[in-house]
Amino acid sequence: MPRWKLFYRLMLRPLFQEPVRLGLMVLAVGLGVAVVLAIELAGNAAAGSFHSSMESLAGDNDLEVVASGGVPEAVLATLAAQPFSMRISPRIEDFAVDTRTRETLPLIGLDLIAEGSRYAPPADSDAANTKRKETMEESVRDLENPESVWVSAGMGKKPGNDISLLINDRVLDCVVRGVIPASSGNENAILMDIAGAQRALNRFGRVDRILIKLPANSNLEKWQRQLSGVVPPGVEVRRQGAGTEENRKMLAAFRWNLRLLSYIALVVGAFLIYNTISVSVVRRRSEIGIVRALGADRGEVLAAFLGEAACLGLAGALVGLPLGRVMADGAVKLMAATVESLYVSSRPGEIALAPDSLALALLIGVGVAVVSAISPAREAMHVSPVDAMAQGRREFLARSHRGRDLAIAGALGGLAAVAARMPAVAGKPFFGYFAAVLLIAAAAYAMPALVNFISSIAAGVLGKLFGVEAMLASRSLAASLRRTSVLVGALATAVAMMVSVGIMVGSFRQTVVSWMNNQLPADLYLRPAGSPAADRHPTLSVDLVEKIAALPGVAGVDRLRAYEISYDGMPVTLAAVDLRVPRANRNTEFFSGRPANEVLEELRGKNNVIVSEPFTYKHKVKTGDAIILWLGEFRESFRIVDVYSDYASERGYILMDREVLLKYLPDETPTNLAVFVAPNADAAEVRKEIQEVSAGHRILIFSNRELRTEAVRIFDRTFAITYALEGVAVMVAVMGIAGALIALVIDRRRELGLLRFLGASSQQIRKMILVEAGLLGLLANLAGFVLGYFLSLILVFVINKQSFGWTIRFHWPVAVLLAALSVVYAATVVSGWYPARVAVRLNPLEVIHEE
Amino acid sequence: MAILSLQNVSKEYASDGQSVRALEGVTLDVNEGEFAALVGRSGCGKSTLLHLAGAMDFPTSGSVLIEGKPTSDLDDAQQTRLRRDKVGFVFQSFQLLHTLTVQENVELPLLLAGKAGARELALERLHGVELDGLGARYPHQLSGGQMQRVAIARALAHSPRILLADEPTGNLDTTTGGIILELLLRLTREQKTATIMATHSLEAASVCDTLVKLRDGRVEEVTRR
Repeated sequence: MPRWKLFYRLMLRPLFQEPVRLGLMVLAVGLGVAVVLAIELAGNAAAGSFHSSMESLAGDNDLEVVASGGVPEAVLATLAAQPFSMRISPRIEDFAVDTRTRETLPLIGLDLIAEGSRYAPPADSDAANTKRKETMEESVRDLENPESVWVSAGMGKKPGNDISLLINDRVLDCVVRGVIPASSGNENAILMDIAGAQRALNRFGRVDRILIKLPANSNLEKWQRQLSGVVPPGVEVRRQGAGTEENRKMLAAFRWNLRLLSYIALVVGAFLIYNTISVSVVRRRSEIGIVRALGADRGEVLAAFLGEAACLGLAGALVGLPLGRVMADGAVKLMAATVESLYVSSRPGEIALAPDSLALALLIGVGVAVVSAISPAREAMHVSPVDAMAQGRREFLARSHRGRDLAIAGALGGLAAVAARMPAVAGKPFFGYFAAVLLIAAAAYAMPALVNFISSIAAGVLGKLFGVEAMLASRSLAASLRRTSVLVGALATAVAMMVSVGIMVGSFRQTVVSWMNNQLPADLYLRPAGSPAADRHPTLSVDLVEKIAALPGVAGVDRLRAYEISYDGMPVTLAAVDLRVPRANRNTEFFSGRPANEVLEELRGKNNVIVSEPFTYKHKVKTGDAIILWLGEFRESFRIVDVYSDYASERGYILMDREVLLKYLPDETPTNLAVFVAPNADAAEVRKEIQEVSAGHRILIFSNRELRTEAVRIFDRTFAITYALEGVAVMVAVMGIAGALIALVIDRRRELGLLRFLGASSQQIRKMILVEAGLLGLLANLAGFVLGYFLSLILVFVINKQSFGWTIRFHWPVAVLLAALSVVYAATVVSGWYPARVAVRLNPLEVIHEE
Repeated sequence: MAILSLQNVSKEYASDGQSVRALEGVTLDVNEGEFAALVGRSGCGKSTLLHLAGAMDFPTSGSVLIEGKPTSDLDDAQQTRLRRDKVGFVFQSFQLLHTLTVQENVELPLLLAGKAGARELALERLHGVELDGLGARYPHQLSGGQMQRVAIARALAHSPRILLADEPTGNLDTTTGGIILELLLRLTREQKTATIMATHSLEAASVCDTLVKLRDGRVEEVTRR
């Protein structure tokens, strides 16, 4: 207890004497914690939705039977004929859009006669039981009608209500026959009888999945082997939820990179804690001497400073918890949009602030604070009592080892270069991350030399340009080199991440724009209405396509059909293109460098495919390799004849001739249409004609330009979260600078008081502090820009490549960088406003006589 | 006419809610080229009187006149101008900026006032305190006596009419303190400043033209030599 009292009196109580600075520090750490927590919570919520989307209504089953393009109905009969006691539930799974709310909802067709009772309202009373019987009877009456649907309770519908659903390119006016209780997951969904669903989706002869419930205590592997033996070669029997696992695996890189990005604010916070504890050690040097002389041992001194950091971390974590919960709401929206655009249909689950979230916040808040404080605390531990009491703190402040630190920086930079050349480990760019961390560490070590060099040059130049206040400001920064270096290091890290991510995103954007110029040769593009997602492929009616193809102004129609398939345990998009359409304008770049027509000719009528770059990277395949695809009931080998650049989806594409695909999956409906307008026809006129012939269908028509604009919009939305994370990191750093400047003003109050004695005006004192803030911003921008450039090389050529498999061409987004750096600079100068006010308000008479 | 004139000056402070009277009814004139010493025990009001004389603070009652103009009438900007033009301070603990060289320290008040020729004037003042050739050094490379000379050079850099020295020999050994006092006296004569030095050493005060004894904020005795 006496120790706690001492700790409070000597370490904590002084913190409260500078409440604004303390508040800024706690808020800065809190923001760092909040960002990490928000991304973790949002990531969990987004990942949780894969389960809820389709699995929540799947019930408790053991195995599932799946096949690319759907499981032939004959498999159902085969399974039913097996002499095993198991429950078999066939399902149709797709999506429909509620035309009123525009919400995209999972559309599930299942055998309602057999399974309907599972989705009926719970029976909790006799009255409810009677009502339930009536509802069931009523429901079953219209079972096979595709216009009969059952909806989730969350949709607020009652039996008898109308609901219009966009299914593929047609609107179906349906009647709600029943309401599914809310216990079936948090996701809204539409249920139909399986026969009705097949009719609504025009999907006959196949089901999307067959769920199997085995007897209790069955050996799953044994059953899986046995059932695999009786189904056709292309049909897979796997554990239920394997698809969810595949999605999780696919999303791992995305989540991992986002998670790491969220740690930047925390790294910046770590710099600030380091600075705070360093300042604390410097300020209390004589106190350390006194308590050591009075009997405190080194361990106690170490514990005191680590304890101070832990308290700051704890306070930060407590602030970060509610802040993180609030930020998670925003993050989950941004993440969900990205996940849907790039990966898989999903709807975020509930954001749950569970005890493990609390533990995470405390762990990262306190953990990062304590680790950051180890170095200054160790320095405090080694303070000799005699020296501490005999000497001023200037000597202590001046202790820095620029030469040694520069050598360490060089070594770390060299190590970073080596790490950047190492391959991915288990598909993750661990060495890339390590290289980035080493670079940041190298920059931190090089900072004192840089700050000293630049501020000594700046003193003369600034003095001439902006007067004595600027000269004093730069001298002051150089004099407190260690403190300045840490501050510049903190802000530079945030700026560097902003610059590097800015360059990476800018390069990616430019690459995508150039790619689209080559990849989109058609004049008009059509797809069914509804929001797009990487794994949703609603189809266009064949009769509509024929009508469009027959229009006089249409020179050709390219029918693209896409399927979601599983390859090597990962979701992949299998697509087929119409090779009968002349492709004079097609400029797809192939890795072999061969002309597009030559490559595409090799696909015609053969089991040959071309694959996208991310596919080759994810599945470790190359041109000439053979890949086995499970298509319907077939299991066939295909040869990769070339690889092409593709930035539309990270999951990877396999592209084949439409005629070949139809052999295995004989569904003629395309998912997208590329329309080539005849040379003498007017595109706008043709668009009008298409709109006329597509009356009764719900389709979206994009001109070539509109499609590109839409793609860029989705691209920008995808990276919105990265900008938000960078913004928070910069905010943390700027707050840290403000806090540190307050400390600097307080520590230099005698000097500031003296300047008033020597004739300095309030304006001059204010200008001096603002110039200091500006100089810190300038140094941080400069260091951050250089570090950011090198980090961007790692991001573009190592981390991005190893995480997603995309080749990105380096591009300087000059305008974006200039704007971002200017904003950071302005924010840093503004952060000096309050410390300048504190400096101006100091009473020179009081401070000049202080000891 | 006296350069500095205190007329029935009183000063009260509020400390922990209590009113503390630091000076009471002080009347004093200091003329051009006069070296006055304020002596008395700690807390007798020496420093307060210096602050009032330098327009760093204002009397609760009475007037402080510098070249005939009351300091109480000045706003913040005018006070700053007054300090820049007419007042120089020397402190017990030197108060040099350790980030600046000796020459830069001396230039500082000139630069803050935006005066031209700061470098030449600073070198001249350093010559005046016999520190030629040490302009490029930093304060921590000097002895205590040298540091106080730099402080004096800085205080006189802008040729003030009033030089206020608060225990200028308090941190120095007797020999060095003696040298500093002689220097202050010489410069007072040469530059015709009205110099007031606060000290509690009667030995130090003995070199001065005027001896002002303070006791509990009142002038107990004024001896002019």
